[in-house]
Amino acid sequence: MFAPGKTTLLLVLSLFWLMPAWVVASSSDPHTLVIGKISHNPKKHYRYLKPMLIYAVDKMRDLGIRRGKIRMVKSKEQLADLVARGEVDWVTETPIAAAYLHEMSGAEILLRKWKKGMPEYHTVFFSRTDGPVKRLEDLKGKIIALEDPASTTAYYLPLNAILQKGMMPVRLKSFREKPPPDKVGFVFVREEINIATLVHKGLVEAGAFSNLDWSKDDHLPSQYRREFSIIQRLPSVIRAVELVRRDLDPAVRERLEEILLKAEDDPKAAAVLNAYQKTRRFDKLSRDQKQSIYDMYAIMEFVDQSL
Amino acid sequence: MKTLYVLLSLATISTSVALAAPEMPAGDTPDPYRDLVIKTEGGLEVTTTDGEFSLELGGRILADAAIYDEDKNALGNGSELRDLRLDLEGRLYADFIYEFSVDFADGEADVKDAWFAYDAVYPWKFSVGHFKEPFSLEELTSKRYLTFMERALPNELAPGRSIGIGAHWSGQRVTFAAGFFGDDYNDDADDEGDEGWGISSRLTFAPWAEERSALHLGVAAGFRRLDDEEEVRFDTRPESHITDIRYLDTGKLEQSRSIALLGLEGAWVTGPFSLQGEWMQAKVERDTGTEPTFDGWYLQASWFLTGESRRYKQDAAKFGRIRPLSEHGALEAAARFSSLDLNDGEIEGGSSDNLTLGLNWYINRQIRLMANAIFVDNDRFADADGDVEAEDEPTIIQLRAQVDF
Repeated sequence: MFAPGKTTLLLVLSLFWLMPAWVVASSSDPHTLVIGKISHNPKKHYRYLKPMLIYAVDKMRDLGIRRGKIRMVKSKEQLADLVARGEVDWVTETPIAAAYLHEMSGAEILLRKWKKGMPEYHTVFFSRTDGPVKRLEDLKGKIIALEDPASTTAYYLPLNAILQKGMMPVRLKSFREKPPPDKVGFVFVREEINIATLVHKGLVEAGAFSNLDWSKDDHLPSQYRREFSIIQRLPSVIRAVELVRRDLDPAVRERLEEILLKAEDDPKAAAVLNAYQKTRRFDKLSRDQKQSIYDMYAIMEFVDQSL
Repeated sequence: MKTLYVLLSLATISTSVALAAPEMPAGDTPDPYRDLVIKTEGGLEVTTTDGEFSLELGGRILADAAIYDEDKNALGNGSELRDLRLDLEGRLYADFIYEFSVDFADGEADVKDAWFAYDAVYPWKFSVGHFKEPFSLEELTSKRYLTFMERALPNELAPGRSIGIGAHWSGQRVTFAAGFFGDDYNDDADDEGDEGWGISSRLTFAPWAEERSALHLGVAAGFRRLDDEEEVRFDTRPESHITDIRYLDTGKLEQSRSIALLGLEGAWVTGPFSLQGEWMQAKVERDTGTEPTFDGWYLQASWFLTGESRRYKQDAAKFGRIRPLSEHGALEAAARFSSLDLNDGEIEGGSSDNLTLGLNWYINRQIRLMANAIFVDNDRFADADGDVEAEDEPTIIQLRAQVDF
């Protein structure tokens, strides 16, 4: 049976003493890689981003990168400002935010991120099967529930589709308000489950979110799904991307690309990818694919100016 | 007198961390957008927008009542506040996390978690303070998220919280945790002898761990050198906390030098259905040359009538909060069989089987009501070390209203 003497015990304790001292000392170098993200839940996102940042920094030591830092901000405007000022090097975001960052700060798409394991996703509009809305045109004078004003599939893309149909959306403060008969009322309800619940209760006539939310029980319980119908699907868009600031040191940019591309084959990265919003892998996008994301800025501008 | 080694370790680690902390990178660049994000869903959570500092104030109230359909012994119907806890946790300077919780349920301050950890070497986490030794899935899962009101009988063999240092590593499928510990903070330290010490370790493997689908396997081992008094006692109530009768009781086992612990764990979640089971064993090494060995096991099944799924947290290898899918909340039915045998050779601590049927209504994420019916079957040695009649077979009905915030 294990029974250490005093010497063994002191040796073990010394190891515990040395471990944190070494780690802390090694992170005091000023050469820093900064990852940025728009977040309204920084506590959660911090845990997502940190493992990947540590993993990447560890593989950039020969380039003089010694430590990583996370910068999260509340809005796309703030993030664009930080990227433009060179204070954020690397951003992980959804396509709409990527388009905005490219337009306003010159950030460039590095790779596609298979966030939650998916390369693409699309918007689904849905309503109660026994309700009055059978197609998008039926939304006139009715209310649709959306997530929040930063969402790609649950705000910008569905509103753009409504506008393209020649209908005018109008934001309501509450689903209890009545929209003008010639306009489509919309409300923000923050979470996907709230969208599903409001539609199920008949408090709003329709909802829109991504096809991934449609098949996720936490966001749309199966008992609701059975009573809903998809009335329209929009074309697929890229799920998520990694961007870097335009003037990032080319060696760092190249290394970051290499690290991310190789991560799926590195057993040590498996847990890191999982923490990084369950990313399955990263891959390269063609020039056209990147442009299709950058072009979403026009959608964003069109929607913003129409309201 | 406290153990020299444990004191030394705590002192040296605290010193190294405290000296190093001012060198941390946080806050050395002015951030024009630095702000606070405040959330009040559940407790009060305040986080800086960059996530480097956070503070969360929470707590829990567990109000219980029990009715005993007595057989041979009076168990004492009644009510109690099972937990009355305030909890503070947070992050400092990006890389340090901490938790401090105190329970006031029995009228005095009972320190629960009181630790801080270094969290900058992913996927490692190094902790120091008072926390649960890595042993037993059920022990490590918070009482807030357990399927039944009380842990199963064999939990008496699990070490629980002690003061010590620990390391935790999590990979995509595997987790490993180990620690070196002194005694429980709440242990009486009046005597002048050296405190006991122990080591514990736990290895888990999850072949898959998706949302609504997981398989968990685990093995844990521990060793504890008892303090200079060289006494150990295993005693436990039936799976009800309001009664004070501890049918199973080995009495003080004097001249005991050490305890070796072994545990096996398994859990399977598929949609609304789950199974969970554990077996554990404690072997006591005594100066008399004997090695009394005690073991126990439980197996439980749970089914969410409303479609939810038990949430397995792979990185911590334990279960987390249930999230009801509808505004009416979630309904869970469950059954458990557990058994603990504290008889071995001349030690006649008793043996007991408990069958529990449970119904839980999760009104929302923070509030739940629980009802348990427990059928107790004690053997002829289960007499609370001679204080009550053996072979007692009471039935227990107990209820809980729980809020955690």
